[in-house]
Amino acid sequence: MMPIGPVLELEGVVKEYAGHPPVRALDGIDLRVDAAELVAVVGPSGSGKSTMLNMMGALDRPTHGDVVVEGRSLAGLDDDQISALRGQRIGFVFQQFHLLEGMTATDNVASGLLYRGIDPTRRRERALVALDRVGLAPRAEHRPGALSGGERQRVAIARALVGDPAIVLADEPTGNLDSHTSEAIIDLMRDLNAAGSAIIVITHDRDLADRFPRRVEVLDGRIAGDHRSIDA
Amino acid sequence: MSVTPLSPSRLRPADSIGLARLGLSARPARTALTATGIALGIAAMVAVIGISASSRAGLLAELDALGTNLLEVRPGQSFVGSSTELPAAAPEMIARISPVIDVAAVSTVDATVRRTRYIPEAETGGITVLAADPALLGPLEGSLAAGTSLDTTTERLPAAVLGAVAAQRLGIGSLAGLPTVHVSGHDLAVIGVLREVPLAPNLDRSILIGRTIAATLYGASDNPSVIYLRTVPSQIDAVRDVIPTTANPEAPNEVNVSRPSDALAARAAANTAFTALLLGLGAVALLVGGVGIANVMVISVLERRAEIGVRRALGATRRHIAVQFVAEASLLAGLGGLVGVALGAVVTVGYAATQGWLVSVPAAGLAGGVLTALALGALAGLYPARRAARLDPADAVRPAG
Repeated sequence: MMPIGPVLELEGVVKEYAGHPPVRALDGIDLRVDAAELVAVVGPSGSGKSTMLNMMGALDRPTHGDVVVEGRSLAGLDDDQISALRGQRIGFVFQQFHLLEGMTATDNVASGLLYRGIDPTRRRERALVALDRVGLAPRAEHRPGALSGGERQRVAIARALVGDPAIVLADEPTGNLDSHTSEAIIDLMRDLNAAGSAIIVITHDRDLADRFPRRVEVLDGRIAGDHRSIDA
Repeated sequence: MSVTPLSPSRLRPADSIGLARLGLSARPARTALTATGIALGIAAMVAVIGISASSRAGLLAELDALGTNLLEVRPGQSFVGSSTELPAAAPEMIARISPVIDVAAVSTVDATVRRTRYIPEAETGGITVLAADPALLGPLEGSLAAGTSLDTTTERLPAAVLGAVAAQRLGIGSLAGLPTVHVSGHDLAVIGVLREVPLAPNLDRSILIGRTIAATLYGASDNPSVIYLRTVPSQIDAVRDVIPTTANPEAPNEVNVSRPSDALAARAAANTAFTALLLGLGAVALLVGGVGIANVMVISVLERRAEIGVRRALGATRRHIAVQFVAEASLLAGLGGLVGVALGAVVTVGYAATQGWLVSVPAAGLAGGVLTALALGALAGLYPARRAARLDPADAVRPAG
């Protein structure tokens, strides 16, 4: 059964950074993402989309307004509870992959479950399943240094998915990849989205965003457009 | 909409050790160099403890073998500062004190010793001539390296027993060829050579001749210059108190009584003071190693911002990040500690072997070395761990700048 209802809501989110004068990076964002949605957040650099990622991923708190993840208001959670929320309900994919060089692909993926107190054998089992989902089972025992850029990003995606999060946030996931590999990564994300997680991709690349069924345009810290297409 | 509660983030203790291992193995050269600092400090401390314990064990074994119940009686100074003599009957009187087991005396003979009559008279080699009781070696627990000791027969004959150092200075290593020494106009046959006498080192630089021959050839008096006596160990203080009045009833204040084993005990004690100083130096070396670890960990935190950010994104709390870095610093120092303890033990065993001591490396010192290193590592890791834990996850996951 597909989950229904919003998994992520931003309610009047304002984010200001200290300075003279203070910098208002987000200026009253209202956004609702439903379960299993596939969304691109697109905007030029400096538009506030990275700050929006910080808010959506509970990496930072808004100055005003609230962020609600699966009905949990960040305003009501302390730092440790927010850490647990990130670890269990949100998966992250970064432009620079951020894999650990000293360990194999499997161990990198398994580290997605490290802070859940799960025993190592079980972590590795689940990591192998996740690697299989991203088509990297044959490379499971390779270290990141022995993998191509596209393969590394697949490992990073597997790490984001291994804990079955409600939301996967990808920050310019194809920014360091060539166009052919980028296509493959986007296709992979669309496939994975069908499995149930809402996937939100932050990008400055309009062509890339056009391939997503929902595109949220950000400009100067506000939402400038929210388009949905049936057959993207 | 119902909200399922989240379970708190949890890091298994075994996993935090795994993380520490991973962090160290990622930079092997840096790990080795930093651990070396701690290893040297710990090795220095363990070696100091081990060597001083071995040396003390050696001294105490020597003391044990020699006994602490020997007393030495010498003439003191008179009230006006001139030198005095002990009465000739003093040894006999002392022997009557009931807890006294064994008594022997020597008297200084005014004579010079040369290898032969052809050696210039001035070259005496600093050797003294002592007229000795045949029983002298008894209370001193002395023994012979070669030949025989004086007895009731040889003490009447022109015969001499050489102390260990005196024999060396005279160039007499054995009794082969029936060596003689020239003592103030008379050639005396060498009938024996003593081993070193640790409780009476002045005997080592002397030659011993019989009382009778000393009186006949050199007109030596019977007044003893040193009386050696053994007592029942428990009674030594009581005996010590009554010796002055017994040895010289007319002038008890002109009698000096000392306990030669005190000098050895003092050496063992002096050793302790020196050990404390060296331990202090070792501690400084260790502290420098600890500062090195803190330094390297601070650099590590700066380099690993992205890793810290990703871990926060994966659910790590601030405490988990701090634990990871403290564990890494402790493990680093612990490794250094293990190597240092092994190194220190090897140095101790080697040094004790060259000195012929019993090897004594206290187990507490070894365990203490590793524990000290672990604690120091944890301490050194606190500040870097705090910095790592305070990193803002949103900043850390992006490239700096």
